[in-house]
Amino acid sequence: MALSAFSFPTYVSKATNSGPHKSSPVTSHFFGAALFSHFSHKLDNHQLKKRPNGVCASLSERGEYHSQRPPTPLLDTINYPIHMKNLSIRELKQLADELRADVIFNVSKTGGHLGSSLGVIELTVALHYVFNAPKDRILWDVGHQTYPHKILTGRRDKMHTMRQTDGLSGFTKRSESEYDCFGTGHSSTSISAGLGMAVGRDLKGRKNNVVAVIGDGAMTAGQAYEAMNNAGYLDSDMIVILNDNKQVSLPTATLDGPIPPVGALSSALSRLQSNRPLRELREVAKGVTKQIGGPMHELAAKVDEYARGMISGSGSTLFEELGLYYIGPVDGHNVDDLVAILDEVKNTKTTGPVLIHVVTEKGRGYPYAEKAADKYHGVAKFDPATGKQFKSSARTQSYTTYFAEALIAEAEVDKDVVAIHAAMGGGTGLNLFLRRFPTRCFDVGIAEQHAVTFAAGLACEGLKPFCAIYSSFMQRAYDQVVHDVDLQKLPVRFAMDRAGLVGADGPTHCGSFDVTFMACLPNMVVMAPSDEAELFHMVATAAAIDDRPSCFRYPRGNGIGVELPPGNKGIPLEVGKGRILIEGERVALLGYGTAVQSCLAASALLESHGLRLTVADARFCKPLDHALIRSLAKSHEVLITVEEGSIGGFGSHVVQFLALDGLLDGTVKWRPLVLPDRYIDHGSPADQLAQAGLTPSHIAATVFNILGQTREALEIMSFKS
Amino acid sequence: MRCSSYGLIIPGSESRFLTTTTTPTTNKKPDRFPRIYPTSVSFGSLKVKAKLNDAAGGTATATAVVDESKELSFYDLLGIPESVSLVEIKQAYKQMARKYHPDVSPPDRVEEYTQRFIRVQEAYETLSDPGLRALYDRDLSMGLHLAFSARRRQQNDDFQVRSEWRNRWQSQLSELKRRSMNKDAGGNISWAARMRRKRDGLSQEL
Repeated sequence: MALSAFSFPTYVSKATNSGPHKSSPVTSHFFGAALFSHFSHKLDNHQLKKRPNGVCASLSERGEYHSQRPPTPLLDTINYPIHMKNLSIRELKQLADELRADVIFNVSKTGGHLGSSLGVIELTVALHYVFNAPKDRILWDVGHQTYPHKILTGRRDKMHTMRQTDGLSGFTKRSESEYDCFGTGHSSTSISAGLGMAVGRDLKGRKNNVVAVIGDGAMTAGQAYEAMNNAGYLDSDMIVILNDNKQVSLPTATLDGPIPPVGALSSALSRLQSNRPLRELREVAKGVTKQIGGPMHELAAKVDEYARGMISGSGSTLFEELGLYYIGPVDGHNVDDLVAILDEVKNTKTTGPVLIHVVTEKGRGYPYAEKAADKYHGVAKFDPATGKQFKSSARTQSYTTYFAEALIAEAEVDKDVVAIHAAMGGGTGLNLFLRRFPTRCFDVGIAEQHAVTFAAGLACEGLKPFCAIYSSFMQRAYDQVVHDVDLQKLPVRFAMDRAGLVGADGPTHCGSFDVTFMACLPNMVVMAPSDEAELFHMVATAAAIDDRPSCFRYPRGNGIGVELPPGNKGIPLEVGKGRILIEGERVALLGYGTAVQSCLAASALLESHGLRLTVADARFCKPLDHALIRSLAKSHEVLITVEEGSIGGFGSHVVQFLALDGLLDGTVKWRPLVLPDRYIDHGSPADQLAQAGLTPSHIAATVFNILGQTREALEIMSFKS
Repeated sequence: MRCSSYGLIIPGSESRFLTTTTTPTTNKKPDRFPRIYPTSVSFGSLKVKAKLNDAAGGTATATAVVDESKELSFYDLLGIPESVSLVEIKQAYKQMARKYHPDVSPPDRVEEYTQRFIRVQEAYETLSDPGLRALYDRDLSMGLHLAFSARRRQQNDDFQVRSEWRNRWQSQLSELKRRSMNKDAGGNISWAARMRRKRDGLSQEL
């Protein structure tokens, strides 16, 4: 008993909502803490005083973080949502706490998205308690907040493989589990898909529920409104849960502090939350309707309707006008409230589309995440007790950082250079640009289509816009690129980061197609740097190309360590000219982008076998360096084009030229090396490259195969480092 | 006679609105409201609103530095225009702090200078945090100049806010239930209503 008095003085005076359930936390946590207190690290006491009610019930809130697996007696009994059905609300709260501790523990071991998962713990528990997945469809927008969902739906034992080769995907994936209804990764698709599932259910005559969870950041994208507009019109029964944590851009902070949300919608949502004076007037209106009530149903309903519309604050009327019934705001960390509301809505026979506005806090329950400016959105492996991430130090910086520095250098010299990104200030490196030129960096929210046309408008006025959008997110804005930029030949520059394979994020974020879809456009200049110094030069080249659109792509990862141009200022390259890196004979490797590095490595491998290859860097896919290709084709037996892109890209353009120029009528053999015709799953970059067949060993083996030396080819492939 | 809490509520009248606070059970019919007398309350709220507007908008009747500084917005306190960057806010704050710090203020005006210093510090704390600053700018545009401590008190009123929210969504839920009864009435020609009628018609036949 002395131990309990020591450990839990605060529990006895618990003053929160669960009045009748006072005694329980003492018993459950007493056991846990007594056994494991000597393994844990305690935080400073003053950190526990954050909550106004002064009491922290959860393991994580008490500040005990375990480097070994935390005790989770209740969570251990749950493998699937069906095992939760007999729990009481009190037990659900305990489950939420244990789930939180488990998520923190798992992410600390593997890295991944932490803050968003912590924000939806209670929501996940409530959803799986009230609804019957997988019959009831629960969709998660973007999917990076589904770690607790995966734990509760039979994948807890695989959480240590999160984001690794052959392990769990970091997003929802239909092929992974029947509880993942829809594959996500790009944002703002959940309402559309949910509506599709609801309408499909109606057509098939089924009776399940459909719930789509979407964040306020994803709400800034147009597709969410397209979906809501359609949902309001079709009037099919479905529930949209707006997870509002006031974090709209990624990372959720600039270099100097948290980002206030971009866009007018966020202030509308805030107004909804702080509606006090307006609520009074609504109550007055309700009082009036109560008095008229009774047989005068219709009139009373109308009065209430008008009162709602007039008085309820401009935010909810937005959703109401779109045809969704608005409920909220609701405290997203209160399991009681969530279960009550979800239960009510589920049991109401015909609702049409309903929007439940849930207010959560990103990173909730882990003090380090709550206090961090970026709310620990995406983290590497870390130590749970101190919150320190284990970031490996590299000799060179990422291509993203180099791009930002190059752009800053261009903008110093030319005041017309402006930068645009779509809620990815950190991911594109433009936070650095923002710090240096606060008025020349534009974050448009998750709206790539708008970003491109916005850039087109800027270009019309004589500015030099640089659109920094990930290669795979550019897919969203393709029509705008074609119609608004390329067709009119406006000088918009596209900087496509995360080109090629991207590692742990998987096929949803993989930039395989950008060479193909950019190079087929008539007016576009398409180029790719083979190393960071080339990147600086290409940024300068893009800045100099002022009569047509241009784009360049660079991968995820760090530079190789070449010398950077002085002052970070690149020199514009001659458009349509490549370069030869190594002079050799018989076989020529023509690489595009960072694949050139693999070609150089391959040629080093082949040196030891007595072959001296020519390695060339094409630099430009459009316009091609015709002279270079002609000379390579005429003086070599074999020409191999290598790129980290899909079919229809650089290699196709080269062979088109070869064919039209009559070079294929001679003796040269041409072979392409491209990404295979299938999606490559998430994993480490090395594994992915091996799966794609683009490692230096693969290139060397291809050379041997063409030369007829198949034995050596096999040798090289089996001698894998 | 300034209202100390953020909301435009007369302190005494809160009790008329908030009845239950801690029951966690599900949907309660809003039958606790009939105690309200709409007319008198609405007058009261308007009065308070008017008072606040006077206090916020007009220049102070008192002439002392302290009273005046209560009227000033945070931007005026720091002596900066509204669209300044963090760096300039910092500089302005440092200047003001140096001027009004109790240790360096003239002995006969220590009291009021200290008050001023406290306000300057509140101003800096609010304006230097982009999130708080955004909120403050919004309030400013609505005509309310509020001290930071008032907002902090409001944030500490978490529990009260949550229970307000609870009342609101409970009434929204009951409204939803009421609406759902008429949802599939003959007049509703939406696609889903037609599907539902068909589905229910079929199941009734079976």
